[in-house]
Amino acid sequence: MEKVLTVDYQKCTGCRLCELVCSVMHDGISNPARSRIKVVKWEEEGHYVPMICQQCEDAPCKNVCPVGAISRDVDYGFLTIDHTLCIGCRSCVSVCPFGAMNYNQVDKKVFKCDLCGGQPQCVRFCDMKAVDFVAADNMTTIKKRNAATRLFASQKHAAVIQDQI
Amino acid sequence: MANDTEKLSASESLRETRTFGKVRCHNPSCMERLEPSPGVDHIKCATCGMEYRIFWVRPDLPRIRGPVWEVNRKIAAEALARKLETSGNKSKAKEGV
Amino acid sequence: MALDRKIAYIDLSTGKIETRPIPIEVRKKFLGGRGLDAYLLYNHAPQGCDPLGPDNPLMISGGILTATCASATARTHIMAKSPLTGLLGSANMGGFFAPEMAWAGFHHLVIKGKAKSPVYIWIHNGRIEIRDAAYLWGKSTTETQWAIREELGDEDIKSAVIGQAGEKLVRYANVMTGIKNAAGRTGMGAVMGSKNLKAVAVRGTMDIRIAHPVDALEHNKHFIDGITGAKVNKTQGALGTPFIWGATNSWGGLRNRNFQYNQMEYADDIEPERLDEIATETIGPHHMTGCFGCQVHCRAQYKIPSGPYAGKYDEGPEYTSQGAFGAEPDCRKAETVLAGNHLVNQYGVDNLEIGSMIAWAMELFELGIITTKETDGLDLRFGNDEALLEMVHRICLRKGWLGDVLAEGGIPASEKIGKNSFDYLIQVKGMNNLHSDERGTPGLALNIATASRGSDHLRSRPAIDLYHLPEKVMRKIYSSPVPYDGPLSSEHTDYEGKPWQVFWHQNCYMAVDCLGICKYHTVFLGATLPNFEDWPKVIYYNTGLEFTPVELWEIAERCNNLERLFNLREGLTRNDLKKGDMLNHRYFDEPTRRGAPDVVGRTIDRQKFNKMVDEFYSHCGWDKKGVPTSETMQRLGLNQEPSHLL
Repeated sequence: MEKVLTVDYQKCTGCRLCELVCSVMHDGISNPARSRIKVVKWEEEGHYVPMICQQCEDAPCKNVCPVGAISRDVDYGFLTIDHTLCIGCRSCVSVCPFGAMNYNQVDKKVFKCDLCGGQPQCVRFCDMKAVDFVAADNMTTIKKRNAATRLFASQKHAAVIQDQI
Repeated sequence: MANDTEKLSASESLRETRTFGKVRCHNPSCMERLEPSPGVDHIKCATCGMEYRIFWVRPDLPRIRGPVWEVNRKIAAEALARKLETSGNKSKAKEGV
Repeated sequence: MALDRKIAYIDLSTGKIETRPIPIEVRKKFLGGRGLDAYLLYNHAPQGCDPLGPDNPLMISGGILTATCASATARTHIMAKSPLTGLLGSANMGGFFAPEMAWAGFHHLVIKGKAKSPVYIWIHNGRIEIRDAAYLWGKSTTETQWAIREELGDEDIKSAVIGQAGEKLVRYANVMTGIKNAAGRTGMGAVMGSKNLKAVAVRGTMDIRIAHPVDALEHNKHFIDGITGAKVNKTQGALGTPFIWGATNSWGGLRNRNFQYNQMEYADDIEPERLDEIATETIGPHHMTGCFGCQVHCRAQYKIPSGPYAGKYDEGPEYTSQGAFGAEPDCRKAETVLAGNHLVNQYGVDNLEIGSMIAWAMELFELGIITTKETDGLDLRFGNDEALLEMVHRICLRKGWLGDVLAEGGIPASEKIGKNSFDYLIQVKGMNNLHSDERGTPGLALNIATASRGSDHLRSRPAIDLYHLPEKVMRKIYSSPVPYDGPLSSEHTDYEGKPWQVFWHQNCYMAVDCLGICKYHTVFLGATLPNFEDWPKVIYYNTGLEFTPVELWEIAERCNNLERLFNLREGLTRNDLKKGDMLNHRYFDEPTRRGAPDVVGRTIDRQKFNKMVDEFYSHCGWDKKGVPTSETMQRLGLNQEPSHLL
């Protein structure tokens, strides 16, 4: 079953554990510059937004690649780079609208989220579930329930207020 | 080697002693485990008589928000008066409140 | 890997910069962080040097695990001789600074000398530069950080900075990073100010290779689950440290009106739950934030809801801000606590110390020892919220006679104010106590009396003593990693066994500070959290270095003894009220008057207290004067100090 990464940025505490475990998982190295996920911060206001690869359907990185090195994984649906084909032109880095295609200066390689092959470590380590991994055909169900809960609660509140009036 | 992977450390083995759903009476010599009914905002210790306001961190994790001031300050004032009486230390302490 | 992070020596007088590797032998003796800082201080600070003079070395460091795949390795440690106490200066902060410094290639900085004009240090991927900071002078802590990012064009730069309090050499000015992470105690900000050093800015993208990455990752998950599973950390994650204040106030263990009361009654507006409501109203339901890699996320975000500072964003408040701007000055409004917290964060001053100083001045005002003549007309009575916040401004900017005097720290201020003002100062070694009252808890009283940086709870407080743990649980914790079969008591009012607990925690907290992790991840507030037996694996998986629990214990002992040697060299004597392991007379003479029935009417028994100190010294391997014996020095390999390995 195809699953997708989702972000609820309001839940993010900004701790950046996701960046740490991402780089350790993929490279055995602690270095946020090697992380596929990055928490963008507005520190003076306290807003934190984890930025991830959206695994776009009509993916600019895949479309722009001159040697066809980017393809979609058949099992999990993520976009993957074939480094035997990649020529390191970084066109995909330029074209990605989310900044989710990265370039590693040490290894001279582009890199991106591969969902850790089906068990994303960022999700596993985030106890807030600011990043989550949900079934693609089910990704709005939770959102709907949350929104419905708010609606329900506010209607109850409104009813109480009406009673008081 | 130093890193025995099988044996539980002291802290790991103590984790089973964790209890949820209960609070301890804030009277340090009492420390009775109190189990508030889900959702209540108030509890009285049957052992020492102190009364507390309850807050729920999560549905399974209550905590004492603070004393019911009228009740507990009266208990404190009486206890202080008793102690000062027996110790003859009256001159040194102002009134309790 | 973590072990190839370097040490840099930066001389601000000459501009000379030298970097060196940190030898493995040094790591094996002192690990890193606070322990290695203690070694550097003992080796680099000339005896009797002026804390605000160019000779005082300032150490900034991360621990041996900083930025590795271990949990919450966010802590930055700062050390120098303290301008507040004249003894050990040492402060620790969370945030993101130390990990970024590690990715920039460094674990330790030793900063000496004094720049001719304001400068900041810029460290980027192994390169160190001293840059002009004239344009930053006079800016607040956050303004400074954002300005540096803008100047250098990189929003990921992390800086450790001083605010105006540090520039003005307020002797308890702190060093800050982010919105509110503060290396608060012992005046490290004044040391930076004295060197004309406004900030240290770091940015790094250098690899830290993990020795055994798969194991490190898996073990980290296990480690984190153990930590976040504790009730105390779940509560911290919802309410932050204010929950401790709330609980402590509930039974009568904190200070109110300087030291007159041990509980603030009807403090409902500044209870943690009320502060949490304000954070929810002004930020939203998810208003907790965390330091680097930490799942406890104990820090709230808020906007000030009303009053002259309405709408200002800040983080916290912590226990100490509730104490400093709530219970101590007897002010009951959340708005005041949140505003005070905001001011100290912007000025860069220790909230704990400034709150205690103002509360002390308020008691002196109440007693008529100071009057409106000294306060320049300010009505400095308890419960005057406006006067409290005005005094924060005056102290940080050294405005007016009293503002300037209080900025000098408790003991110098008491000498200037005169009369019997010193009797009312709740301090040890010249540093004010946490806003807690230890008269009902002898173990905690022993901790603050003997803490290496002056009255302090983060050096050796056996806080779990308050939990009435069953004896077998106590035995399990305190008989490891070295055997102990002496007395242990679940009763917090006892004197028996407490010296061992304080000794154990002194070693535990030192080890944590050497590793560079947070105290909420060890046996500080939760009995079931990791300690000596749990750390060897984490160190091994991340760095490849092997230690036994007992070896870590010995390292902690060694580092604690180095701090002790430094203090003794700089004049610590056991019973000196100003520079010793001694409590203010009020602990022994004035009974507590509020709280739970068994807390009221308590004092510390002087004779039993002295016996506890004797016993504590003996556990430490010190003689009756508190001096490490030659056997102790021999056993810990300290008889060659200073040995100048680094």
